[in-house]
Amino acid sequence: MAESTSAKKHLETTLLVPALRRKYYAESLSQTTGQKICWCSNGIPSEILDAFGINAVFVENYATVCASKRLSSGFCRAGERAGFSQDVCGYARILMGYLLGGTEAPEAPYGGLAKADFLVVNSYSCDSRMGWFATMQRTLNIPLYVLDAPYQPGGGCMDEANIVYTESQLLDFVTFLEGQTRSKLDREKLRAGIDLSRRSADIQTEIYEMRKAVPSPMSAGDAYTVVWPGMYMAGTKECDDFYARLRAEVNHRIVNKIGVVPEEKFRLLWSGLPFWYNMALLNYFEDFGGVVAIENAYFRSEKSFPPQHHDPIKDMAITSTIKRPYAGDLEQRLQLTLDIVKDYRIDGVILAYNPSCRLMYLLQPELKNALDCHGIPNVNIECDMADERTYSEGQIKTRLDAFIERMLVLRK
Amino acid sequence: MITAGIDIGSSTSKAVLIDEGDMLSYSIMPTGAESVNSARRVMADVLDKAGISAKDVSYILATGYGRVIVPFANEALTELTCHARGAHFLFPNVRTILDMGGQDCKAIRCDANGQLLNFVMNDKCAAGTGRFLELIARVLGVSLDALSDLALKATATIKINSTCAVFAKSEVTSLIREGKNRCDVIAGLHDAIAMRVFNLLRGVGIESQLAITGGLGKNKAIIREIEKKTDLNCMIAEEPQIVGALGAALFARDKFI
Repeated sequence: MAESTSAKKHLETTLLVPALRRKYYAESLSQTTGQKICWCSNGIPSEILDAFGINAVFVENYATVCASKRLSSGFCRAGERAGFSQDVCGYARILMGYLLGGTEAPEAPYGGLAKADFLVVNSYSCDSRMGWFATMQRTLNIPLYVLDAPYQPGGGCMDEANIVYTESQLLDFVTFLEGQTRSKLDREKLRAGIDLSRRSADIQTEIYEMRKAVPSPMSAGDAYTVVWPGMYMAGTKECDDFYARLRAEVNHRIVNKIGVVPEEKFRLLWSGLPFWYNMALLNYFEDFGGVVAIENAYFRSEKSFPPQHHDPIKDMAITSTIKRPYAGDLEQRLQLTLDIVKDYRIDGVILAYNPSCRLMYLLQPELKNALDCHGIPNVNIECDMADERTYSEGQIKTRLDAFIERMLVLRK
Repeated sequence: MITAGIDIGSSTSKAVLIDEGDMLSYSIMPTGAESVNSARRVMADVLDKAGISAKDVSYILATGYGRVIVPFANEALTELTCHARGAHFLFPNVRTILDMGGQDCKAIRCDANGQLLNFVMNDKCAAGTGRFLELIARVLGVSLDALSDLALKATATIKINSTCAVFAKSEVTSLIREGKNRCDVIAGLHDAIAMRVFNLLRGVGIESQLAITGGLGKNKAIIREIEKKTDLNCMIAEEPQIVGALGAALFARDKFI
């Protein structure tokens, strides 16, 4: 296995995540209770799966695990040999390489994925995933459920038709899961899961708010790791405890003015997904007194909505149609990032431009134009988030070094 | 106070010695496969030309892709920052710099003090670089220096559609096989390169005082095409390849101000 280039973690709580992740994959592999295994995309409401006792395996996360262990080249090559173009999402190529690579694929981390009983993908945020999951369905010959969500202009339009459609989709999803598990939805368990999930999400929002502090108490290197429990263990007490502990540690650092770097000279925003095979790049600025103080991927600035209905499915349908800036159109997403720049006292922006990511593809060039218009220094680095073959050390470091030189001059 | 700038690029290594603001000597050599050896050789040569020894040099600042592996350098800065500084030293009114090197092209904006403001570089593509022209020269069986002269003799400009170095090479070969005038094809190639770097320049915003640095600054046909597209007279140093090394030597001098 190739050498890992993990980010340096500054917080003790962050160091708990690898064990949680290992446990998550180990439990799905070792389950013997007849629990169904569902491979799903990010954004699937895991609280519903949990309420059925279904073991959810988020395959995009597994792709990031492969990348972080420097195995993406081997899996991507295997995926490409199976017919997938290099222009296809790196996550998809890694998974298809894992599935179709045979002996040519590298040894799978964590002993591989638990065998799936069925697949679930959602239609929002990324359209590539739909094709990718459809291909997996044909490959594995197991059922696939597509959870559809209506397009919501402006990131949310809480009209009745929208709510009715979303609720009908969720109910249909429940019917599908009832068929797969031959059991009924435990609505009390779902209610408890949703409430706990919202509580954890609110703590995460608090932590994002706390990260406005100067010096920065937590860098993006930690942040991209600590999002993991919230994304893959949502609605569990373990997740809730994790964020409560994280909040306490961040607060302790703020009170005691413990920054990521001893003398903070400039603060950066990382826009887009990180390069999972080289997370240490997030720490690259620290030797020069810079800190990646915030990132716009997974960012949240608003608290959860209080329960809107006693029925948990209806409640989910209503809250998912309420306006959210991060799910908005291009203009709103641009404004959100410009607001982050202001609120977090950002001196410069790193634009991680990944042509294979259809979600971020358009945003980054537009964001560059907007930042230029506002006179905010920025640098564009083009790499796939998961395929390490697209990373060119010399070219990237020259860009980042020149950017740092500029930051230091501005500091003077 | 003698200081040195050393620029280890992908194609050539350059070194400049200055005594305060006066240039004592410079040297340009192929980088080759061993960048550390190239750095030592080019440094030895520039010292030899100035008739001084290494101990007479107070500070050495390295730049270029090989900046981090120069074993005897006191410090390193990127070529973007150094080209801005060097060009500004030679042309104090310059605000936009186009560095056309062997491996990449960089459009740079600087302020009235020669400080780097913004930059755009070509990404993962050799089209428009010195390597690209080397490739074409080899295909056509002419020297790199002769390419420019042939382009200037053209009576027409044949459009080259491919923006990829490899595909452009195939396109050029096909056009020559079709019997198209070699000078016109080469002129088309220069036009395609100029268009490509013009787009880079637009990425940083073109200000009226534009300097071209790097090895391709010696190519008169490219300069002519860029001047046509920008509608500007480009400022070219007597030796455009050493501008980055000169900037590095000037930054080294700053250590003692």
